[in-house]
Amino acid sequence: MAFVPVADITLPVRTTATATRSHDHARSTVKTASRRHIRVPAVVGHIVLIVVAFASIFPIYWMFATAFRQPVDASSQTIFPWPISLDSFTTVWQQIPILSMIGNTFVMALSVAACQLVIAILAAYGFSMWQFPGKNVLFLFFIGSWLVPFQVTMIPNYVLISQLGLLGTIAGVIVPNICSAFAVMLMRQHMQSFPRELIDAAHMDGRNSWGILLRVVLPNMRPALAALGIMLFIEAWNNYLWPALIFQHQSNALVQVGIRSFLGSEGDNWGAIMAASGLACLPIFLIYLFLQRYIVDGFVRSGLR
Amino acid sequence: MTDVRPAPAAAAEALTDAGVSPARRRRRRVPIAPYLYVLPALILLGVWIYRPLLQTFQLSFYSWNLLPTQPLTPVGLQNYVSVVSSQQLRDALVNTGIYIGAFLVFSVVLPIAIALLSRQVGGRAKTVYQAIIFVPFLVTPVAAAAVWRWLLSDSGGAIPTVLQNFGIDIGDVLRSPTGAIWAIILIVGWQMLGFGVLVVSAGIAGINPDYAHAASIDGAGGWTILRRITLPLLSPTIVFLVLMTILLSAQWTYPMIDILTQGGPSDSTTNLYYLLYQIGFQNFDAGSAGAAGTLFFIAFSLLALGLVTLSDRLSFYDN
Repeated sequence: MAFVPVADITLPVRTTATATRSHDHARSTVKTASRRHIRVPAVVGHIVLIVVAFASIFPIYWMFATAFRQPVDASSQTIFPWPISLDSFTTVWQQIPILSMIGNTFVMALSVAACQLVIAILAAYGFSMWQFPGKNVLFLFFIGSWLVPFQVTMIPNYVLISQLGLLGTIAGVIVPNICSAFAVMLMRQHMQSFPRELIDAAHMDGRNSWGILLRVVLPNMRPALAALGIMLFIEAWNNYLWPALIFQHQSNALVQVGIRSFLGSEGDNWGAIMAASGLACLPIFLIYLFLQRYIVDGFVRSGLR
Repeated sequence: MTDVRPAPAAAAEALTDAGVSPARRRRRRVPIAPYLYVLPALILLGVWIYRPLLQTFQLSFYSWNLLPTQPLTPVGLQNYVSVVSSQQLRDALVNTGIYIGAFLVFSVVLPIAIALLSRQVGGRAKTVYQAIIFVPFLVTPVAAAAVWRWLLSDSGGAIPTVLQNFGIDIGDVLRSPTGAIWAIILIVGWQMLGFGVLVVSAGIAGINPDYAHAASIDGAGGWTILRRITLPLLSPTIVFLVLMTILLSAQWTYPMIDILTQGGPSDSTTNLYYLLYQIGFQNFDAGSAGAAGTLFFIAFSLLALGLVTLSDRLSFYDN
């Protein structure tokens, strides 16, 4: 099986005026040849993508389907939950403070994302607008931090957090995550492509660097800031390891930790477990539904640096 | 998604980061402002990454049980000896290799195939497919673990039930010493796939179609174009995904291992990262955890630096 870029067939080929004649013939033969031998029919693409999309979405659908079944039918295999029942959600509501858990997680993720964004904006601005001694060495510190797996540093960090008296608190989850080297690097990438002329003009107007950052750079970077901010929020929301360490014993403060203990205590009450899990994902799903463009942009940019 | 462009590796870029006009004007005296802007991030990085890294190294020469009241006893290289000679480390090492190898299929191989196939599918439908495939990446790890435990449950779970109708009995996969690791791989792979597809699609969108035209005019077939033009131009994206898989697979597997199997049955699903957690927070052996962490950091850095060097040699930029 082989593939030919769609562009091959649909887009006109750019050729110089003098060469057009001789190439026309060659091009048409290639086109028919590729049609005949190489091009995978769109139907195959559709079929494969439908299968993959189904495999991707089914577990999530099943989570909500189980949550909406009557508790006695939890292990029924019918595709649609019927009759629909909210009993599983009621159970969750009575067993754990799910609303405050989601609220706390929201506050935690928002604080982490906001702090990371502010710190990243400042550092990226420093890195992208000036040439200064030691710049490359300092930047290597940021890149180098990628090589340090979280698990290698977790014991000393845990000890420091406990010395600060923050074990078992949401602040203890937030504090070590205030700076993200990744956000700094991504932000620097954005700032470097910012048009120089605008900055030079602001300079001539007598603005200082802080004024330029606040009045010129940031207002023009709103889409990038939104994309990065949402991405950092999702990452903070979905972080598991550090919250699980900070709240080692049963705790209902954050969804990640609360649902883990709920999983243990409810055993085989799948309806309730699925309802709690579904609620934990809901805020992110809603954000994705409404801000999909920013999210995709944020993650794609992170992928291409 | 159209405005993205493949950029050279960040490391290489930082070193060649040439001065621009306003910066050059100011070079006569050393400016203070940039240091002030960078300072907060630098301090935080020092406190939360480089300080603990040094302390991990320091701890590796002591025996300590994490209790503030207990003294640290120097033990020389004993921690290293006991870590290196442990059977658990060998199991974890082998499993880490299996995990990374299998994840590369989900984060690189399959996404390339899917992204290439979705080029055959037009505009809106493609966007919808890709949007759906991306959703698992956004599922909170605890919820992902919970729903898959339910799907794989041997009493009423959807997958064993359906397979039983075809006469296949998979039993309780998560408690099987041979099956559990594959279940974890499947779950994490399910989460990673959409991210890979998104990144590869953006990479392909950034390739100038003129190259493929030129090649097809010269008589190249679809397979040749793919092998000689598309894949080489995609190499920065591929290298990025490989690095990402190696760097982040720990973060993505940890919750699944912790919630679903705790590394068992009989260490069949453990990996290096989970082992570090167990040594530190289950055995309360900070010294051994320090030794394992130090070894682990060195191996990991060598691997990543090797990959970056290799990618600089292999990568093919569309300049």
